[in-house]
Amino acid sequence: MLKRTILSKKFWMYFFAYLLAAIMVFPLLWMLISSFKPPGSTVTVLNQLLSAPFSLESYQAVLRPDGTAMMWRWTFNSVLVGVVQTVVTVLFSSWAAFAVSRIPFKGKGFIFVFTFIGLMVPMESIVVPLFNMIVDLNWVNTYHALIWPGMMLPLAFLILKQFIDQLPNELLEAAKIDGAGFFTMWAKIILPLSKSSMAAVSIFIFIQSWNNLLWPLLVAQERSMMTLPVGIPTFQSNFATDLAIPMASNVVASIPALIVFLLFQKHIIRGIALSGIK
Amino acid sequence: MLQLTDKTNEQIISVSAYKRKETIRNYATAALFLAPFMVLYIWFWIYPIIQGFITSLTTGSYGVEQNFVGLSNYAYMLTDNKFWVSFGNTLYFILISTPTIVVLGLIMALIVNSKLKGTTILRSAFFMPYMLSISVVGSIWVFILQSRTGLLAETFQLFGYTMEISWFGSWGMGWLSILIATLWWTVGFNMILFLAGLQEIPEEIYEAADIDGASSWEKFRYITFPSLRGVTALVILLQTIASFKLFGQTFLITNGGPGISTTPLVHYIYQVAFRQWDMGYASAISFVLFLVISLIAFIQYKVLMKKD
Repeated sequence: MLKRTILSKKFWMYFFAYLLAAIMVFPLLWMLISSFKPPGSTVTVLNQLLSAPFSLESYQAVLRPDGTAMMWRWTFNSVLVGVVQTVVTVLFSSWAAFAVSRIPFKGKGFIFVFTFIGLMVPMESIVVPLFNMIVDLNWVNTYHALIWPGMMLPLAFLILKQFIDQLPNELLEAAKIDGAGFFTMWAKIILPLSKSSMAAVSIFIFIQSWNNLLWPLLVAQERSMMTLPVGIPTFQSNFATDLAIPMASNVVASIPALIVFLLFQKHIIRGIALSGIK
Repeated sequence: MLQLTDKTNEQIISVSAYKRKETIRNYATAALFLAPFMVLYIWFWIYPIIQGFITSLTTGSYGVEQNFVGLSNYAYMLTDNKFWVSFGNTLYFILISTPTIVVLGLIMALIVNSKLKGTTILRSAFFMPYMLSISVVGSIWVFILQSRTGLLAETFQLFGYTMEISWFGSWGMGWLSILIATLWWTVGFNMILFLAGLQEIPEEIYEAADIDGASSWEKFRYITFPSLRGVTALVILLQTIASFKLFGQTFLITNGGPGISTTPLVHYIYQVAFRQWDMGYASAISFVLFLVISLIAFIQYKVLMKKD
C-alpha cells in the first residue's frame, strides 16, 4: 500500500516534469519541422505538417544571396558585433579590475562607486542621447555605432574584481620579488587564473549582445548593416500566411546561439549565477 | 618592507625617495590599466546620462533650433495621458509577470535539482528558449497565436472546435500574449538563479530532517523556502527591472496596439523620440525611467549586501 503511493507519486512527478519540458520544446520543434516544408505549404495544420512533402527549398529561398533576406550578412554582423563587444568588454574590465584590486593607490572606493552607478543605468534610458551622439559623430549605419555603445562594462568589471579580490596575495608577492611588472603579473598570473570567470562573463555578454534589438534597430537603418534581430522582422513582414520561409529564417538565426549553448552550457549557467548572486 | 638596522639620515631619505617614486609609478600603472575601461565607460554611459538630462530641458529636433524650456517637458508629462497609460501598462506587466516567473522558475529549478532521471535533458529543455533572439521568439508566438490561421486556432479546428479569440486585439489578450511569450523566453534564466540558490543549501539539513521524519512538504516549507528568500528577492527585483525595460516583445508581437493599450514605457519613449522626433520630451521620460530603475537597482544592492 505504502509502496504503491510512493510509486505513483514518482510517476506523477516524471509525468509533470516531462510534460512541462514538452510544452517548452514544442514551439522549437514546430519551428524546425515547418522549416523543412516547401515554401507556401500550410504548417499550422498538424496532420499536414507531419506528412510529406519535405524539402530544403525554404532554406534555399532564405539563404539565396540575391534574395530580400540577407541572412549571411546579418549573421556575420551579429557575430562580429557580439565577438568584438565580448572581447573588448572582458579585456578592458579585467585590466580595470586588476588595477583596482591589486595596485596600491588612493581613490579605489570612488572608482568602485562610480562604476556601480553604471549597473543602475539601463541602455533603454539613455538611447535618446546616445543616438544623438551617434548622429553627431556621423556613425549611423557603421559598425562603430553597433559596437561601442551598449557593452556591459560595469557588470564585467564588478564580477571580475570580486574574483581577483579572492586570489591569495602570495602569488603576486612572489612575482614581485622576482621583479615582475604589473603587466606581467596580469598576463602570467591573473589572466590564467580567472579564465573560467572570464569565460562565464564572456558568454553571458555574448548572449545579451546577440539578442539586443532596440539599439541596432535605431542605428542600423541600411539593410546591409542590420543584425539578425533587426533584419528578420523586416524580412518576415513580407509573408502573411506562408510560414515555411519565415520559419527557415528563424532556424538559421537560432543555429549559432544553440551551438553556443550546447558547447558552453556550464559556462552559461555559471555566468547567469555570477551575474545575479555574486 | 625594508628593515633598517642602521638608521642613518641618508638612508631614511633614500628610502622615502624610493617610496615616493614607487607611489608615482603605482598611480601611473593604475591609470594605464584603467584608461581604456574609463574612456569607454564615461563616453558611452556617464556622458549620455548628463547629456540626456540637458536635452530633457529643451525642445526641438534635428534641423530645428534647440530652446531651453526649463522643466516644462516634465510638467507636460504630468498631464500627458499617453505617458500615464504606458506607465500603467508597465506596472500591470510587472504585476502579472513577476508571480508567474517566480513560481514557474522555482518549480523548474526544483525539478532540475531533484533526483529524477534525465535532469540534464530537462534543464536544456527549460533553458533553450532563452538562447533565441527576441525576433525569433516574437515570430514563433505570433504564428502560434494569430487568430484563425495560427497554430493554436488550427489545432482546435482539427478537433472540431472553432476558437474565436483575437489574441492581439484587446488590452487583456494582448498582454496575455506578451506574458506567454516572455514567460517562455525568460523563465529558464530565472530557473538558473533559483538552481544556484538551491545548490547552496547543504545536503545535511535535509538528511537531518529525514531522520526526524519530515514530509517532503515540510522539508520545502521549513528548509528550502526560507533558504531561497534571498534568491526570490533577487528574481523579483531583476524581473521588475526587466519589465521596466520591456520593448522587444510589444514591438514585435502587438506593436503596442490596439491603440496604445500594450505600449510600455520604453516603447512610448521610442515613439516619441523616433516617430515624433521630440527629443526633449523623450529625454524627459527617459530620465524618469532612469530614476525609477536606479531606485530598484539601489534596493537590489541593499538586499544583496545584507545577504553577505
